[in-house]
Amino acid sequence: MQIELTQIIPVPLKDKLSNRASDIWNKTVLFQSPQKIKIKAPSGSGKTTFIHTLYKLRYDYAGDVCYDGINIKNIQDDALATIRQQKISIIFQDLRLFPNLTAGENIELNRVLQAPFYEKEKINEMAEALGVASILAQRAGLCSYGEQQRIAIIRAMMQPFEWLLMDEPFSHLDQENISKAITLIKTECDKRNAGFILTDLDDDEHFEYTGTIQL
Amino acid sequence: MNTLLQKIIKTASGRTRFVMAVIGLSVAMVLILAAVQIQVNYNDLLHSKTNQDSIANFLVLNKSINNANRNSTTLSDENIAALKKQSFVDEVGILIPSRFKASVESNSDRFPFATDIAFESVPASFIDVNNVNWKWDENSNYIPIIAPNMFLDFYNFQFSLSQNLPQLTQDIVKLIVFKVNIHTATGIISFNGRIVGFSDRITSLLVPQDFMNWANEKYNLGQQSQPSRVIIKTKDPGNPALVKYLQDNGLVTDADKTRFSKYRQIVNTVVNISWITGAVMLVFALLIFTLFIQLTIASCKEEIKLLITLGASPKQLQGFLIKQFFPSNVIIIVISLLAICGLQYMAYDFLQVQHIFISQFISYYTLLAAWVILLVLWFVNVSAIRKYIAVKDK
Repeated sequence: MQIELTQIIPVPLKDKLSNRASDIWNKTVLFQSPQKIKIKAPSGSGKTTFIHTLYKLRYDYAGDVCYDGINIKNIQDDALATIRQQKISIIFQDLRLFPNLTAGENIELNRVLQAPFYEKEKINEMAEALGVASILAQRAGLCSYGEQQRIAIIRAMMQPFEWLLMDEPFSHLDQENISKAITLIKTECDKRNAGFILTDLDDDEHFEYTGTIQL
Repeated sequence: MNTLLQKIIKTASGRTRFVMAVIGLSVAMVLILAAVQIQVNYNDLLHSKTNQDSIANFLVLNKSINNANRNSTTLSDENIAALKKQSFVDEVGILIPSRFKASVESNSDRFPFATDIAFESVPASFIDVNNVNWKWDENSNYIPIIAPNMFLDFYNFQFSLSQNLPQLTQDIVKLIVFKVNIHTATGIISFNGRIVGFSDRITSLLVPQDFMNWANEKYNLGQQSQPSRVIIKTKDPGNPALVKYLQDNGLVTDADKTRFSKYRQIVNTVVNISWITGAVMLVFALLIFTLFIQLTIASCKEEIKLLITLGASPKQLQGFLIKQFFPSNVIIIVISLLAICGLQYMAYDFLQVQHIFISQFISYYTLLAAWVILLVLWFVNVSAIRKYIAVKDK
């Protein structure tokens, strides 16, 4: 799946961003899965805005975002849902778990939203791998940020995808847990021959990136 | 997935409101279905065989006579055409009066009588006497006559007593052949007349229409030929619309036959009130239910937003919500129908003792009404859910 950006710039950040050099804002950029893209930028430069724009969560931008040549502004609700179920998975910076569901239920929800990609046992397997198996029955609202982040990562791995969007996905994790998560994400992306777009503050060597782009 | 959604979108948060919405809807449903059933029962009672009366279904109409229209009480063709158009009139027959002078006299010295007389005729379909002798032939000298029952009653219970004459049965009267004299300009022409039957329907001496046309043509003394009286066939002589029409047009008929219209009007009003109450209640109940749906969706606005963010389709959520709300509507309708069945059976039981017969079971119309209401509820549910889910997605 191809994601094409044409001259996009968020309206609220327009003045601030137009004075800065950027590889993305106001440029034409083409992402083709399975590229592994790292977006590097300091705080407040619009990383989350960028991810949300790609995911069609916000509309306050100029320019066009196209999935396989179709402007996402023209994609209707139910078609968008299908894309989110089948082609694009996401790990939010603010995690976005249902606080009243257990950690396990949060993961399960994304598994059954479409025809399941994995059997239910896979949840335990991944939870074991990331060291959160013991909290699966706990309400997500009561889990620590580190635990929630790992739950959010596992949740994103439960569905089929061609692109994985990750917005500072390791911000609450220590080195050991980061490397466990990286192993998992790598395996899952390879399994699907999927690409990803990852945003972060600094340079890193977590993955073999196809390209690193300055936002 | 539905168990997870159920956990996220908690209808339980509005349990009291839900119960109230359900109670409101149930009461409205019982009222509206009862209104339908009452209407059906009422119509059954009006039109059932036990209630039908062959006499009452025929009414003879004429203009009421007052000082203003004395001697001009004929009904114009427009009057008759207008009458034919009324929904409560099935058939209109014109009563043709004899326009010649006639008298009858006895052939027997033992039983002498003689009197001047006038005849009327109506189309055969309005006559309630089936008799093979009821036909007239121009070449024969015989005229069959139908007499009103009340003539014989008058004779048997008043006249015979006062004149010391024997009482007569219908069969005896039918055996008597008497002379019918028609007074023409050139003299008297005599026929043999015989009573062939008695009728409760029309209170005049009837002769076959063929004879009447022939005799009127031949012996006419030059009077007007426009009719003054008509007979109508109606399914329901107590119909208030009929009574109102007669009043509006200055027509009169046997008041005894239409006296039920007053009660009918009262019952009609009561039935209509039950309709209106039911309908108003239903509208309010639908409103409450819609608000309840709206409230439930609004109270988990954030959850629905996140579900859609994660890739749940509005269609999936709508389907889920319909499954949450609609079954309760079906249950309400089923329970209401059962309640109506129970009430109907109780009414049947109760009225039977009073010799009023209604069906033991509810009518198809009630079932149809329930079905239609179910469709309306489905529509209301779906449109409310669509509307609010769509808004949340933006």
